[in-house]
Amino acid sequence: MAYSFPEEVLEHVFSFIHTDKDRNAISVVCKSWYEVERWSRRRVFVGNCYAVSPGIVIRRFPELRSVALKGKPHFADFNLVPEGWGGNVFPWIATMTRAYPMLEELRLKRMVVTDESLELISRSFKNFKVLVLFSCEGFSTDGLAAIAANCRNLRELDLRESEVDDLSGHWLTHFPDSCTSLVSLNISCLGSEVSFSALERLVGRCPNLRTLRLNRAVPLERLPNLLHRAPQLVELGTGAYTAEPRPEVFSSLEGAFANCKELKSLSGFWDVVPDYLPSIYSICSGITSLNLSYATIQSPDLVKLVTQCPNLQRLWVLDYIEDSGLEALAAHCKDLQELRVFPSEPYGAEPNVALTEQGLVSVSEGCPKLHSVLYFCRQMTNAALVSIAKNRPNMTRFRLCILEPETPDYQTMEPLDVGFGAIVEHCKELRRLSLSGLLTDRMFDYIGTHAKKLEMLSVAFAGDSDLGLHHVLSGCESLRKLEIRDCPWGDKALLANAAKLETMRSLWMSSCSVSYGACKLLGQKMPRLNVEVIDERGPPDSRPESCLVEKLYIYRSVAGPRLDMPSFVRTMDEDSELRLS
Amino acid sequence: MITLRSSDGETFDLDEVVAVELQTIKNMMEDGCAESVIPVPNVEGKILAKVIEYCKKHVKSTVKAEEHALSDADLKAWDSDFIKLDQATLFDLIMAANYLDIKSLLDLLCQTVANMIKGKSPEEIRQIFNIKNDFTPEEEQEIRRENQWAFQ
Repeated sequence: MAYSFPEEVLEHVFSFIHTDKDRNAISVVCKSWYEVERWSRRRVFVGNCYAVSPGIVIRRFPELRSVALKGKPHFADFNLVPEGWGGNVFPWIATMTRAYPMLEELRLKRMVVTDESLELISRSFKNFKVLVLFSCEGFSTDGLAAIAANCRNLRELDLRESEVDDLSGHWLTHFPDSCTSLVSLNISCLGSEVSFSALERLVGRCPNLRTLRLNRAVPLERLPNLLHRAPQLVELGTGAYTAEPRPEVFSSLEGAFANCKELKSLSGFWDVVPDYLPSIYSICSGITSLNLSYATIQSPDLVKLVTQCPNLQRLWVLDYIEDSGLEALAAHCKDLQELRVFPSEPYGAEPNVALTEQGLVSVSEGCPKLHSVLYFCRQMTNAALVSIAKNRPNMTRFRLCILEPETPDYQTMEPLDVGFGAIVEHCKELRRLSLSGLLTDRMFDYIGTHAKKLEMLSVAFAGDSDLGLHHVLSGCESLRKLEIRDCPWGDKALLANAAKLETMRSLWMSSCSVSYGACKLLGQKMPRLNVEVIDERGPPDSRPESCLVEKLYIYRSVAGPRLDMPSFVRTMDEDSELRLS
Repeated sequence: MITLRSSDGETFDLDEVVAVELQTIKNMMEDGCAESVIPVPNVEGKILAKVIEYCKKHVKSTVKAEEHALSDADLKAWDSDFIKLDQATLFDLIMAANYLDIKSLLDLLCQTVANMIKGKSPEEIRQIFNIKNDFTPEEEQEIRRENQWAFQ
C-alpha cells in the first residue's frame, strides 16, 4: 500500500534531515518529494562556484538561509592561480539579494570579495548573522565597516587567512552600541591596530561571545582587560605575546587566564617570549586545540607547554619542536588526533632544526587516535613510512611535504614508493593524501590498487609516464579532487580516462605534459566538462597543437562554460574554435 | 471529562488536562463548540488509543504530580519504546497527530520517520515507503547530476 503524507507532514519529516547527501537522496524519490524538498531546503554547499550558476540555485531552492561557496582551486594557496582568474562572488550576491532577502549565512572560501559585495550584503539581508571569509581577498576594511554598521544581528564575523586591504583599524568602531549578538569574531589576518577601546566595549557587551581571534597588533598588556570582559570564551587567539619582562604584567595575565575556565582552544602567540608562557598554564589542562604556528620558540619551551596539555587533540606547531619535542608530545598527549608541523625556514639550504622522520614515527607510535597529519620535513625513509602506516591504520588525512622535490629515501637512495604504498595499503580509511619525494609510476599503481576511499590527492614532481596518471584515474573509485604539478603526465592518460573526469569535482594540472590539441579533443568529447586552459603566454591557438599548455583546470558543471574568463583562460568546448576565430 | 469518539465508534474518556494536549480539541473547547462527545472522524479506535496513551504519559499536571512525574530520561526511554511500531501504525499515528495537532508527538514521530530515511539511497527510500518513482529516467538523471555536481 503506497502511503502519501500531506505536504506539511513531509515538510516536518524533512526538517529533521540535514546533510547534503540525505537531502539530495530525498529529492530524487518522486516528484512530490522533490517539490517539498526544494521548497524546504535551507542550506546549500556549492563545492565549486562554477559547477552551477546563481540562477540555477535560486530556481531550484527558493528559500535558502545559508549558502557556502568555494571558488579558486586549492593550488591557489601556492600562488599557482594567476591574479584575475575568477571566483568573484558579486554575481552571486546580486542574485541572492533579490531571491533571498532572509539570507542569514554566507560562508566563502578562496573567493574574490569586493567592498561593493560586502556593502550589498550589509544592506540587503535584514537578518544576516554569519559571514565567514576563508582565504578570500579583494576587500578592504571599508567593506568590513559596512558589515559592522549595518548587520544588526551579526553573530559571526570570521576573516581567517584572508588578504584584506587594511586601510585602518577604525572599522571596528562601526559596530553600534546596540550590537550585543556576537558569538564569534576572527580578525587574526588583519595588520593594523584596531581601536582597543572599541574592541573592549564590543567584547564586554556580547555575553555570548565564545570565539575571539585577535590580530598581532593587539599588545599583550591589553589582553587581561579583554579576558576579564569575556571569561566565557571557549576559543582565544592572542595578539603578539611579547612584552618587557614585568611581574605585574605576568600576574595580570595569569589571573585573567585563570578566570577563563571554558577555554579549549588557543592560537596567536606571535613573537612569543618564553617567560610569558607560564601565564597560561592554569588553563592548559582543558586545552584541546593549540595553534603555535606563529610561535617562534625553541623545543624546550615548546615541550614545557605541550606537556601541560594532556587533553590536547589538535596541535599546529613549527618545526622548532624537533624530534625530541614530538617524542614528549607522544608521551603526554594520548588524545592527539591532528598534528601539523610547519617549516620555520622552508627556503634554507640546510636544515636549521633537528626534525626528521623520527619525530613523526614517535607520534604515530604514541598517539592511538592520530588520524590527520601535515608534516614538513627534509628527509624521509621507506622504513619510517611503513612504521607510520602500520602504527596508524586509522589515518584519514596524510600530507607529507619533503621540502626538496624528488628526494629519495636518504638511507637506501630508493624512491619512496614502498613507504607511501604502505600508507595506502594499511590506511583503508584514507580520504586525503599529499605526496612528495622521489616517486615512480609504481607508487601510483599502489594508489590505484589500494586507495579506494581516497577523495583528494595532491602530487608534485612525481611519476615517470602517463601510466602513473592512468593508475590513479582508473583505480581511485572515490576520487573527487586531483591536483598535479610538475609531473610528466599528459594526453594519453587524460583522454583514456575522460569519462572519469565527470565523476570528480575537479582536476588541476600545471607544468605537466598535456598538449593544447588534447585539451581541445577533451573539450569536444566531454561537453559537460569545462576544460579551461590557463596560459599567460597569449592565445593558445597561435601555437601548434602539440604545444604543451601551462596550466589546465577541468571541472564538471551543470552551468556550461563560464562567462567571466579573463583573457588568459580559454575554455575548450565545441564552440571554442568558432568563438576564438 | 471529555469524551472522544473514533471513526469506528470507540469512545475514550479523558481528563480535560489531557485533552488540551490535543491542540485541535483544545481549540474546540475554547471556542465553546465541544459537545459532550467529540467525534474524531479521521482517526480509528486503535490509533486514537495510542494517541491518548502518549498524551496521558506526557501531560504536565500539578495535581497528579506525584503519580505522573517522570524524569526526562525516563520519558525519553518510554518514548523510544512507544515508537516501536509497525510501519502502518506509525504512519496512521502521524496522520492522527497532525490532524489533532499534538506537537510533541508529531515531532517524535517525524523524527522517527526521518531516521528511517537518513543514510538511505533513493531506491531504498522508495521501497520503505512503497513510493512509485514517477520521474522519467532522463528527469531523474538530470536531478541526480545537478545534486552531485552542484550541491555536494
